[in-house]
Amino acid sequence: MSKKWLRQVCSIAALFLMTAAPAASADDIVVSAAASLTDALKEIGRMYQSRSKNRVTFVFASSSTLARQIEAGAPADVFFSADVQTMNALERNGRLEPGTRRQLLSNQLVIIVPADKPTVVNSPEDLLDPRVRRIALAEPSSVPAGVYSKTYLESLGLWDKIKPKVVPVLDVRATLASVESGNVEAGFVYKTDAGSSKRVKTVFEVPIGKGPEIVYPVAILKESKSKAAAKEFLNVMVSPSGADVFKRYGFVVLQ
Amino acid sequence: MFVTIETWQITLFSVAVALGSTLVILPFGIALAWIFARKEWPLKAIIETAVLLPLVMPPVSTGLILLEIFGRRSPVGEWLYDRGVEIVFNWKGVLIAMAVMSFPLLVRAARTSFSEVNPRLEQIAATLGASRWRIFFVITIPLAFRGIIAGSLLAFSRALGEFGATILLAGNIPGRTQTLSLAIFNYVQTGREHEAYTLLSITVMIAFASVWCSEWLLHSTKRT
Amino acid sequence: MLLRCRIPLPDFAVDIDASFDARVTSIFGPSGSGKTTILDAIAGLINVNEGEIEIDGRILFSSMRAINLSPQQRSIGYVPQEGALFPHLSVLQNVLFGSNRASGLTARARIETDHVLAVLEIANLLDRPITKLSGGEAQRVALARAVLSCPQLLLLDEPLAALDVALKEKILPYLSRVRDEFSIPMIYVTHNLSEVLALADWILMIRKGRLLAQGVPKDVLRSPDTIAQFAEEQLENVFAVMIIDADRVAGRTRVQLESGQELFVPYVAQAAGQAFQVRISPGDILISTKQPEGISAGNIIPGFIRRIGRSDGQAMVVVDAGAEFYVRLTASAVDKLELIEDHPVFLIMKTHSFRIL
Repeated sequence: MSKKWLRQVCSIAALFLMTAAPAASADDIVVSAAASLTDALKEIGRMYQSRSKNRVTFVFASSSTLARQIEAGAPADVFFSADVQTMNALERNGRLEPGTRRQLLSNQLVIIVPADKPTVVNSPEDLLDPRVRRIALAEPSSVPAGVYSKTYLESLGLWDKIKPKVVPVLDVRATLASVESGNVEAGFVYKTDAGSSKRVKTVFEVPIGKGPEIVYPVAILKESKSKAAAKEFLNVMVSPSGADVFKRYGFVVLQ
Repeated sequence: MFVTIETWQITLFSVAVALGSTLVILPFGIALAWIFARKEWPLKAIIETAVLLPLVMPPVSTGLILLEIFGRRSPVGEWLYDRGVEIVFNWKGVLIAMAVMSFPLLVRAARTSFSEVNPRLEQIAATLGASRWRIFFVITIPLAFRGIIAGSLLAFSRALGEFGATILLAGNIPGRTQTLSLAIFNYVQTGREHEAYTLLSITVMIAFASVWCSEWLLHSTKRT
Repeated sequence: MLLRCRIPLPDFAVDIDASFDARVTSIFGPSGSGKTTILDAIAGLINVNEGEIEIDGRILFSSMRAINLSPQQRSIGYVPQEGALFPHLSVLQNVLFGSNRASGLTARARIETDHVLAVLEIANLLDRPITKLSGGEAQRVALARAVLSCPQLLLLDEPLAALDVALKEKILPYLSRVRDEFSIPMIYVTHNLSEVLALADWILMIRKGRLLAQGVPKDVLRSPDTIAQFAEEQLENVFAVMIIDADRVAGRTRVQLESGQELFVPYVAQAAGQAFQVRISPGDILISTKQPEGISAGNIIPGFIRRIGRSDGQAMVVVDAGAEFYVRLTASAVDKLELIEDHPVFLIMKTHSFRIL
C-alpha cells in the first residue's frame, strides 16, 4: 500500500513541476479585453503565437468587470477597454504603464432582434411599441455597451419610457445571447457582435455622429511582469495585418 | 449601514418570494419525503438521485436546464407564453429557481424525520380504524413535525441565497427580479460597495437566524 | 375462527392451518417462530401469499376469492409487544383513538368507556403524558385503547414480555378481567407457558412457522417430552386455591386446592374464603421416596407419579398430589431414586417457593 501512495505522490509532484517549468522559459501574457473583442482578438492571438515563442491568455468580460478585477490586483499585462471612462479611471489610480496608452478602435451601436421571428422594430422609436416587452442591454450604469445605449436613448428622449422594459445583462455578448434565445424582443449590441451571429438580424444602425462617440483604448498595465512581450502583442495589433483582422470583423480602426 | 427604500424593497421582495417558494414546495416535498421513507420500488435510486441533483450541481447548470425548459423557444415556455404566463425575466422565474434549488434540502430533512417515526404506530392506528389520511395527518406528520419545520427553514434560507439559477432564469432586473444576492452582485459590479455591504449584513442576519433555528430543531434532545 | 395462511419469511415460511373457537387462544412458541407474523397477517398488516382468514363467518382474507380487507376494515384490536402508544397524544386521546368505530354499533354492542377505564384502573392516568407512564401503566393503556375500539377480536403480542416478574403478576389479572368482562375473543401470543396456563382455553403450538399441535392447553401440554423440548424453564405450576386462614405471626397462609389438599404459601392479608392463584416453578420442587424428617420446608405432601418424560439429560416428572405438579429433575436423579410410574412419592416445597397471583 505504501508503494502505491509513493507513486501517487510522485505523479502529483511531477505534475507540479511540469506546470511550473514552462513559465520559466517563455514570457506569457494575460490580456484582459472587452467582450465585444472576443472573436477578433482570438484570431490576433493566434497570429501572435505563430510569430512569437510567448503564449497569450485572454480574459473576456465587460470592461467594467475587468477594471474592477485589475484594481483588486488581478494579474493582467494588457487592458483593452470598450470605453474611455473605464481606462481613465485606471489611469487616475496609476494602474497604467505610462506612455503605453493609445486609442485603437471604434465601433457602431446597432439594434438587433431574433432572426427567426417577425418583428415590429425598425427604429429606436419602435421600441416603445407594447409588443416589444423586453429589451436586453449590457448593464447601463457601468458596462460601456450599456452606457453608450443609454446615452443614445437619452439623447432621443426615449430612455424613461424604455427603462421599464430593460433587462440588464453582464456584458454585450450576454446581450447577444439573450436576443438569440428569443427571450427578449430586441437588444443593443455593437455592429461587430451582430455580425458574428446568424441567429440575430440587425434592424437599425445608430448613425456614426448621431450616437455617442465609441472609442476602444488599449494600454499596458504597470504591474505587468512581461512588459516586453506585452509590447510585442501591442505591435501585432497595430500592424497592418492586425488592422486587417479588426476591419474584417467590422471594427473601425483609428489612426 | 446604508438603508434606503431600495434596500427595503429588495429585502421584502426576496423574503416574500423565498417564502412563497418554500410554501409551494412544502406539499410536494412532504409527499415525496414520505414516499421515499416508506415505499420501495425498482428504480427508486434513480429518482432519489435526480431529486438530490440541484443540491450538488452548480446552480448555473440547474439554471441553464430551467432556462431550456421555460424559455420562450421551448414547448413548455411557448405554451405558457400563449396563455399570458411569463417565467423568464419575471418574479415567477425567481420563484421557480428558488423552489428547484431548495427542494432537495426539504426532502432530505423531512425524509429523515419520517423514517424516525415508528411504522408500528401507523399500523396500530390503522387497526384502530383510522383512514390513511387520518393516520398521515394525526400520527405521522405531528411526529415528524420538527424535521419538517427544520427542512423548511433550510429550504427558505437556501432560496433566499439563491443566485446562479436565478440570474440565468429570471435575470438581474432591478425592481422586478432583483433579489438580495442578485443586488449584491450588481452593486459590486457597478461600484456601489457600501450598499452591497448593507445587503450583505441583511443576508447574513436572516441566514444565521434561519439556520440556527433549523439546527436547534433538528438536534435538540427530543421531548417525545 | 379459521386461520389458514402461508407467508414466506427470510429463514422459513409460516404455514398454518387451524380452526378454533375459544375465548382466549394462545399462540405459543419460542422466539423467532413467526408468532408476530401470524398476528400481523390476521390484522392485515402484512401481505399473505395464499390462505383464508375468517372470523365468525366474516372473511377477512381469501386468496381464492381475492378478498383482502384493509386493517381499518377488519375491526381487530392489536396490543403489540411495545405497546405502541402515540407519544404526542395524551392518555385519554390514545385510549379514545379508535372509539369512533364504536359509534357505528348498537348500544348493546358498544363498550362503555368508563367501564373499560375502571376495569383497567387507568381513570387516574388520563392526563398523564405518555412518556411518564410506567411499563405496567403503558400496557394497560394500550389494552384499553384496543378494547375501546370495539373490535371483533383482540390480538395481544407478548404483552407481558417487557415487564419484570413482579409486574407480570400484577398485569396478568387485568388480562383475565378483560377476558371475563368484555367477551371479546382474544389471541394471545407468548413464549411463556405460565401465561398460557393462566389465561388460555386453547393453544396453538408453533415452531419455525409450523403448527405442531393445537388443543386444550392442559391436554396438549400433557406430554412432558413436548414440554422438555419447549423451553421448559418457563413452565410453571399454576393452581387455583382458596384461603383457609392467614397467620401473620407464623408468616404463612393456609390454602386449599380444589381437591382439598392443603398448602402453606406466604402470608397475605386476606380473609378466609378468598380465591386466587398460586404458582410454583418445577425447579423448586423436590421429590422424596420416603417421608423426610427434621426438614425446614413447609409443605410435604404425598402423591404418586403419573408420568416421566426425559429429554437431553433432563426429566419432567408429573406427580398427582391432589393436583398435577410438574417437577423438574435431572435424569440422574430419576435413576438414583429409581422413579417409575405409579410410584408413591412425597413432594417437598418451601412456603416461599409459592408465588401468589
